[in-house]
Amino acid sequence: MSYFNVKEKIEEIKNTLNNSVDFSYRLYKKGSQVLGFIFLKSIIDQSLFSSAVYFPLQMYDGKITIENLKNDILKCVDIKEAKEKDMISEILDGKLIIITNFSIKILSIDLLKFPTRTPSEPPTSPVIQGPREGFVEDLQTNVTLLRRRLKTQNLVMEVLRVGSQTQTKVCITYIKGIANKKIVKQVREKIKNIKIDGILDSYNILFYLENRPGSLFKQIGNTEKPDIVTSKLLEGKVAILVDNSPIVLTVPFIFIEDLQNSNDYYTNHHYSSFVRVIRLFGLLIALIAPGFYLALQLYHYNILPLNFLITIADTTQGLPFTPFLEILFIFLLFQILYEVSLRLPSYLGLATSVVGALILGDTGVKAGLISPPGVIIVALSKIALYTIPEQAPQITVLQLVFIILGGSLGLIGLISGLVYIVNYLNNFDSFSTPYLAPYSPRIPQDLKDAVFMDPIYSMRQRPKSFSPESKERV
Amino acid sequence: MKRKIKILFKMPMIIVFIIILLFFTPFAIYSPGENRNRGVVTALGIDRVEDEYEISLLTFIPTANQSYQEKSSVISGKGSSVAEAIYNAQIAMGRSVGLAHAKTTVVNEKLLEEDVAASIDYLSRVASLPENTVFVCTNKTAKEMLENSQDLVNDLGLKLEQVIGYNANNLYVTDTSLEAFYKGYFSPTKSSLIGYLTIEDEENKSNENSEISSPQNSGSDQNQGTQSSGGSGATNGNPSHIVNQGQAVLLKSGKKVAVLNIDQLNGINILNPKSVNQIITVDGIEKNGQTISLQYKIKTKKTLVSSKFENGYPIYIAQLVLGVELVEVDGVEDSLKVNTEFSEVTKEIAEKIELQIKRQFTDSINILRECNTDVLGIARQFFFHNRKEFMKFLDGIGGEEAVDKFIDYVTFKLNMVVQPD
Amino acid sequence: MKKISVRQCGMIIVMCIFANKILLMPSLMYQQTSADSIFVLITLFLLDFVMLPIFIKLKESYPDKKLYDILKDKLGVVITKIIYIAMLCFFFFKCLLVFSVTYVYFKQQIYQDEFIFMALIAFLPVINHAVISGVRAFSRTIELFFGVVIAGFIVCLVISLFTPISTPDFFISSGKEFFSALYNHIFAFGDFIILFLIMDRIEIKKGQAKRLYFYSIFAMILVVILFYLFYAKYQITAFMHNNALADLLVFSVQFNAIGRLDIIAMLTIMFITLFQMEIFNYAFCDCFVNIFPLLNKNYSIVVFDILFCILYYVFIGRYETMVTSALFWLPYLAIVINYLLPIVLLVILIIRRRKIEKKDKNLV
Repeated sequence: MSYFNVKEKIEEIKNTLNNSVDFSYRLYKKGSQVLGFIFLKSIIDQSLFSSAVYFPLQMYDGKITIENLKNDILKCVDIKEAKEKDMISEILDGKLIIITNFSIKILSIDLLKFPTRTPSEPPTSPVIQGPREGFVEDLQTNVTLLRRRLKTQNLVMEVLRVGSQTQTKVCITYIKGIANKKIVKQVREKIKNIKIDGILDSYNILFYLENRPGSLFKQIGNTEKPDIVTSKLLEGKVAILVDNSPIVLTVPFIFIEDLQNSNDYYTNHHYSSFVRVIRLFGLLIALIAPGFYLALQLYHYNILPLNFLITIADTTQGLPFTPFLEILFIFLLFQILYEVSLRLPSYLGLATSVVGALILGDTGVKAGLISPPGVIIVALSKIALYTIPEQAPQITVLQLVFIILGGSLGLIGLISGLVYIVNYLNNFDSFSTPYLAPYSPRIPQDLKDAVFMDPIYSMRQRPKSFSPESKERV
Repeated sequence: MKRKIKILFKMPMIIVFIIILLFFTPFAIYSPGENRNRGVVTALGIDRVEDEYEISLLTFIPTANQSYQEKSSVISGKGSSVAEAIYNAQIAMGRSVGLAHAKTTVVNEKLLEEDVAASIDYLSRVASLPENTVFVCTNKTAKEMLENSQDLVNDLGLKLEQVIGYNANNLYVTDTSLEAFYKGYFSPTKSSLIGYLTIEDEENKSNENSEISSPQNSGSDQNQGTQSSGGSGATNGNPSHIVNQGQAVLLKSGKKVAVLNIDQLNGINILNPKSVNQIITVDGIEKNGQTISLQYKIKTKKTLVSSKFENGYPIYIAQLVLGVELVEVDGVEDSLKVNTEFSEVTKEIAEKIELQIKRQFTDSINILRECNTDVLGIARQFFFHNRKEFMKFLDGIGGEEAVDKFIDYVTFKLNMVVQPD
Repeated sequence: MKKISVRQCGMIIVMCIFANKILLMPSLMYQQTSADSIFVLITLFLLDFVMLPIFIKLKESYPDKKLYDILKDKLGVVITKIIYIAMLCFFFFKCLLVFSVTYVYFKQQIYQDEFIFMALIAFLPVINHAVISGVRAFSRTIELFFGVVIAGFIVCLVISLFTPISTPDFFISSGKEFFSALYNHIFAFGDFIILFLIMDRIEIKKGQAKRLYFYSIFAMILVVILFYLFYAKYQITAFMHNNALADLLVFSVQFNAIGRLDIIAMLTIMFITLFQMEIFNYAFCDCFVNIFPLLNKNYSIVVFDILFCILYYVFIGRYETMVTSALFWLPYLAIVINYLLPIVLLVILIIRRRKIEKKDKNLV
């Protein structure tokens, strides 16, 4: 039996890791015994290394054995034996590897430490009342956040590694006995089949999970808030946590989920219902208002009430653009402003909004380039878009489609487009869940938490749409 | 590239969308919009001038301003038919005519000398013209009426259709829409009723005003004129005005047979439960040795109509319950207090009110009989309730053709209860 | 197999019951039988209604069998195919008529100067997509919009109550007129036939069949109310108004200031027409696939589209001819489909029941 030549082994590893700048090692000699500590100094807790590993070793008088090290000497929590072939990946995972010249066994000690954020309120989903914690980039912290909320033995967290280069940890989370096994299996298989070199964010695996990849519509839920994930797990969904991403994915996803906001559950349910109706209404306005206005102006002047017609005719008189170009121009203007205000630092953002909204809009109208009704309609639809911010990307694309449909085919085009989209959505089921449930098909028991919301205490059953294994919330 | 095309063909809706983009969107981008292509007509006038039709279109002119007020002008065209005249007006306007917002159709009296339905056939075929467009007749030309209607807006803030609408709603409770005209026109008796607005010249108007003012001072008669509008029209250099006296034209087979004044219209509407607010004057009431006259307003009305044949002759029975309210007392001493003495309708007052209403009703019926116009639907009542006898009776007087003469043979019985409201 | 619920099936029935009856028919009927048309309508509805129990019994007897297979077993392939060809024509012309009537309405009201194929390019792809997606997808779509459609319909009816209406003049027409109207308008009926075509796709759980009765009666009542209000509002001029549901909304002078509310009717009619066309297109394709088993659904859609475009182009200039043929020629077809087919199915059912009874007796 040959033991390690510590120095050579260290050299070998150093070469494997291409003399990386953060590669570090220490040798400890006591008599004939040599111990080598190999680690990446960028991702381990160096103070813990000296206080819990090196210092106790120095203080130890007796003969060092692997068993001694594991049980007595080292003052660390997570000490494991590792295999030689896994050594590199262990080092890359932030472990401290100990090799000796007196044993074939290799010890791997978890000393991982890197700069992390503390859980704070995510900017994408602020709440007025309710928990303000949000997920962070560190998987471990995220797991902690979930575990804190779900103290059940049935909480399953399976870790898979995805990405040939990044070896990112992907954690499939669900509650055994509630989540549908078929869905869990489907998710697991889909994640296992991902062939890619790197996963940088959960969005990278999102496209592999979708039933209809390439579709415009959102098929996977995502959130940054642990309380939302918890409630979704309790509904029987499966959550996918990805290391280095604060966004947690949930499947199956249905459209109505975006209408629900975590605020709704922390306020009066009557108010929540009202707000949800407003959101739905906002969505409808966002979708078809510019197209509808264009259709009225181009084809159906006769269904406009006379007074409204007078206003439109007076304001559009003498404009250099045709109605279609006018709406398109305002639409693009708003979209550019939106993009700019999103990318610019906040201190400049204010300036752009002033220049954009006030100066461009107002002067545009006064200069006779654009008409006030046109600005109002497009602005209204753009604002209404953010009643459901989660749906904003696809609705923005659809807005343009509806502008083209309304402008080219009129009211018939709009209605046909609407029916087509609904038909299309009805035809794709996300993880065998009807996308527009509980309205089409109608699932009466799920209507308790749809556009109109019942008080929480009456939601005694889990949503049938996700076909959970245990139906009652007990 | 090939792969991309293949993928494209897997999504046929994308192809449809591209077709729309290619074939329809360019037109849409180029199109200046309906409201710039079309002249929005808010009122339509048809005149018979010699052998030709003259169409006048009160057209809304869009102006780039922020006041959003309706600015209109009258554009006219002549032709041997209405369609041709509209076509010519269209040429004059430089835009196509959009009739969807035409709320008023005015015809002149001369047009009513022949079957007006033949003249306005075009309108019934233009589907975009709303059926509820007000249909009204004028004594002068429709063109003048439309020109003057601008002044109505400026002076009273009223549009033509609102004036007529007020009449229709509050005075004689009869729709004067195109639809209502056709309803009467196609009925077996072929009789219909449409609104009538007069245009007075400026010189006449001063007399008219004095005439209106005198009864208003005495407060005894409300029938002369309801309202008039000022301002000056522009035609022929002669300033003229629209005067609304609440009149209506009685048509038989689309031809004018009589112009009814507001009194006669009230008479026709006596059996109409919706027609209220009329003023009834009771003269010659003795009180403390003084003769005074009282004015009552009909506040509520309940009617019950029945019909029967007695000795082979038709009898039309109407039960009328009137709720009246005292509104004015004339020639009273200072000691008398209104609303106390006469709030109770005495037998004498009730009888006088009854008499007055019966007189009004008889007058109206007589006019209807003279003109063979059964706008009240008397024959219809008998047809549905006493069909056998009615048909037999009709055979006796000349068959189904004689249905419009049927009203001549009907005996009317009006039973009335007058009570304070 | 992707199945649809009884609720969705009921909604399909409601859409079919609305087909061809809510725009042109009231005025067409009025020309023949004046206000007595309501009785013609009710009679035709009652005749139609007989089909529903036949369907339910058939479904109970053959829960997962297609109509084609049932007919093929009992009548042989040739006769079945002939019946299916008749049905194919029946649904095709229904679809054509529905579209033409709606198109003419839109042309009059909102698309005065537009290109003839504009409506086609908007409608055809959508209905084709619905057919490809299958009966489950489009019945779900109907389910989602059902509330909107019915609300629009009822709003039209309710708003018409705000204008003066009076009882229509009943009992004017003669018996001969009555029966000829009955015959002439048969083609617009036969709405339950679609159920037989999709019978293998419907999942009727125990006790749910009565829901179908509920939906049918509900739709029929709505149509009868529409007829009544239309005649009550327009009386003698009803023949001049070709778009009943929309014309109900046209206000009298008193309401002129409010502006035009017929956009409610317009949107409702658009939705209803789209759904009806989806259903009829589906029925056409189903028949086509059964007649030509070697060709798949995509071929049937292509055939439908080509035929539809050609006939639409030919007929739209002769709208009157089309309506007349619907009144005088197509009833022959309708009699076969509406009444003969259900009778045949009834006979099949009775024979089956007798056989079962015999078997039971033998067993005893």
